[in-house]
Amino acid sequence: MKKTLLISLLLIMTVALTLSAQGVQEKKSEGPIKFSLYYSDNATLPFKQDWLTVTEVQKRVNADVEFEVIPIADYQTKVSLALNTGTNAPDVILYQSTKGENAALALNGALVPISDYKEWTPHFNARVKEFGIEEDVAQLNLKDGKRYFLPALFDVPFYDGGLILREDLLKKYNLKAPKTYDELYDVLKVFKKNNPSSYPLTILAGPRVLYRMTMPAWGISLGKNGASGTNTLSWDYEAKRYFPGAISEEYKSYISFFHKLYAEGLLDPEMAEPIDGDKWSQKLATGKSLATYAYYDQIGGVTATSNIPGFKLEMYPALAGPAGAHHQPKSKTGSGIVFPYKTSKRADFEQLVKTVDEMFFSTENSTIWCLGVEGITYNMKGGKVEFVPEILNSSEGIYKSLQVKYGCGSDVTQMVWVNAREMTKYDANYARINKEVEAMGNVIQAIPPNAKFDDRQAEDAGSLQTPLSDAFERWNSAFLTGSKDIDRDWNAYVSEMKNLGIEKFAALYNDNL
Amino acid sequence: MRQYKTRSNFLFNLFVNLVMLTSLLLCLIPFVYMIALSLSSPKAIINNEVFLWPKGFTLESYLQIFNYPNFFHAYGNTILYTFVGTGISLAMMILFAYPLSKTRLKGQKALMKLVIFSMFFTGGLIPNYLLVSSLGLINTRWAMLLPFAINQFNLILLINFFRTIPEDMEEAAIIDGLDYFGILLKIILPLSGAALATVGLYTAVFFWNDWFNGLIYLKSSQFPVMLFLRNIVTGTSMVGDAAGAGDKTTIAISIKSAVIITSTLPIIVLYPFLQRYFVKGIMIGAVKG
Repeated sequence: MKKTLLISLLLIMTVALTLSAQGVQEKKSEGPIKFSLYYSDNATLPFKQDWLTVTEVQKRVNADVEFEVIPIADYQTKVSLALNTGTNAPDVILYQSTKGENAALALNGALVPISDYKEWTPHFNARVKEFGIEEDVAQLNLKDGKRYFLPALFDVPFYDGGLILREDLLKKYNLKAPKTYDELYDVLKVFKKNNPSSYPLTILAGPRVLYRMTMPAWGISLGKNGASGTNTLSWDYEAKRYFPGAISEEYKSYISFFHKLYAEGLLDPEMAEPIDGDKWSQKLATGKSLATYAYYDQIGGVTATSNIPGFKLEMYPALAGPAGAHHQPKSKTGSGIVFPYKTSKRADFEQLVKTVDEMFFSTENSTIWCLGVEGITYNMKGGKVEFVPEILNSSEGIYKSLQVKYGCGSDVTQMVWVNAREMTKYDANYARINKEVEAMGNVIQAIPPNAKFDDRQAEDAGSLQTPLSDAFERWNSAFLTGSKDIDRDWNAYVSEMKNLGIEKFAALYNDNL
Repeated sequence: MRQYKTRSNFLFNLFVNLVMLTSLLLCLIPFVYMIALSLSSPKAIINNEVFLWPKGFTLESYLQIFNYPNFFHAYGNTILYTFVGTGISLAMMILFAYPLSKTRLKGQKALMKLVIFSMFFTGGLIPNYLLVSSLGLINTRWAMLLPFAINQFNLILLINFFRTIPEDMEEAAIIDGLDYFGILLKIILPLSGAALATVGLYTAVFFWNDWFNGLIYLKSSQFPVMLFLRNIVTGTSMVGDAAGAGDKTTIAISIKSAVIITSTLPIIVLYPFLQRYFVKGIMIGAVKG
């Protein structure tokens, strides 16, 4: 009797458990998982709800995503407000990292420490392992040893911009393509001599583009958008420590070189002001400038509009300076996905994280974010990607056409970047330059590690950084334009930077690596 | 009025006209230049051939912005915010300004001080956001309309204007049996056309130009067109990550110009219609009595 009772009880329990498990499964398959998401919208690539990538990926992971499309110019404000107040935050925020304010927010519990939920992000883990960038990802941990976002992942960084010269003029004046900065100086001299009214070298956007692309050849990286984000420190790749780059001999030699270009009329004096894309194109297309530091994607547009016969722009591999041939350092991780704390209170948080992981990091879906859907945007022929004729022959080029029409290759949604796969979207010339640069060795160095500050240290660092950075910008412009003499005023500059605590600032970073 | 044709009068007129012409040109040229750019081909622009007359005439830029997702939607939002916002704002300000214009009212001075205090000191971004949020206005269009219904500066203009209307008229109305609402509706408001047009125009321009409040309080489907304009004009020159993504993207100046023209034109067109009130109104509150 007892036995029968036990058996029947067991039976009932098993049935109940199976039923409830089925219930859970049924609940899952009830419909798509719904969540809201912040998307940073760039006007050159306006988001469309019906992009093939967006609809296809949602269909494949069975999700119904409410995209909050926010203009890039104000994206950070909106995100900061959502995270600071905690109310009305979306479930997922794209295009974020834990630099700056976000680090403090994360440490104070506004963000989900996603590294605590490793088992829910199998696709992300697999890509990290595949690319062998475990260390790069580990560097994103904050002071408490936790990582608060799923970064975008790169296998090999691209050489997507650099020195761009008028190749037709090199030929005309019988010059060789420069390989070092001294050779560049000679080339610019000849350009100037033959085109006295021109300022041969100009830059796109602001001086920061020039600085961050050229400084590494001197062994430093400083100023706004310097690789370390410290603005005045630089990273010693051998000693693996920060040093006060802004007052180093390397910087002195660097700024002397560019002052020489400036003084001899070889460098565009308008570069102190931001030179926007239109002005920049105008300068090159009309022959007011003959060389530039800028990005490869923009050469085509200028060439197409110039009235100068034989006009041809070409991008060249990084030039060698005193510290070797180096280009702007790049990270193998980029901005990625954060989850506001509120999201972790959702009953289906686990399912949400798993869905997001699959949506952006699975092999299948990350390919869609990059190339589109096989059979619609491209076909595989003998293991090679072949785009459909409509994309292949579009006037704006494969890359742009894929972006605008299908939403592929947006750095907000594409989280997995495979260099070789990216190259299929560009012309053969670009792939060739990238190969050349890759063969040159360590041209693109890694971005130095972030210091792991707690709140108070971050505050200290911040209050040292701003005045240092301001002073540096001021002196840097003065040295460049010659309103301060590099040799005569150098000591005054160094002592001002020391008084502002540049050494203490470096120590603060080195103590918290 | 007869003018004496003396040499000094002639010189003076010439001088005045020249000054006016210069200031007219200073205002007009950038606008005409923008129109010319928006109608020119990118090739002509890059080769620096466009000044005040379009070259390589094309409507491509306009077609392109009309193709931007949500452009017309955002435009509709802005028109809604401008009309409804101005309406609400005028109603609230009139109701607040009229009693405050009565110096005999108890507590009027204290209220006035509160108004002026809030003109100079605000709670700041996050407290404001939390307030609007706790009122349940976030992600609703009301967040754009209600918190800005009363602008202190415009309120003070109105108060001072109402004070210039002689008390005696109101007393006469009271004797004839009108209550205070009746006086406000039938006597004060009809006499205040100039003031209302001025304040209304200020308010309408505020709602038309406002992008920041839209950004922080609204959902993207409720965004005004100015946010859209801002993204196109400045968004592309943003500093990106260290990877430099932001610098890589540029947008043609012809498109920027076209967006600027389409989003500023309606409010510019409004001016001539309101001008006759406006010229009178701008001196409102300047002299009392």
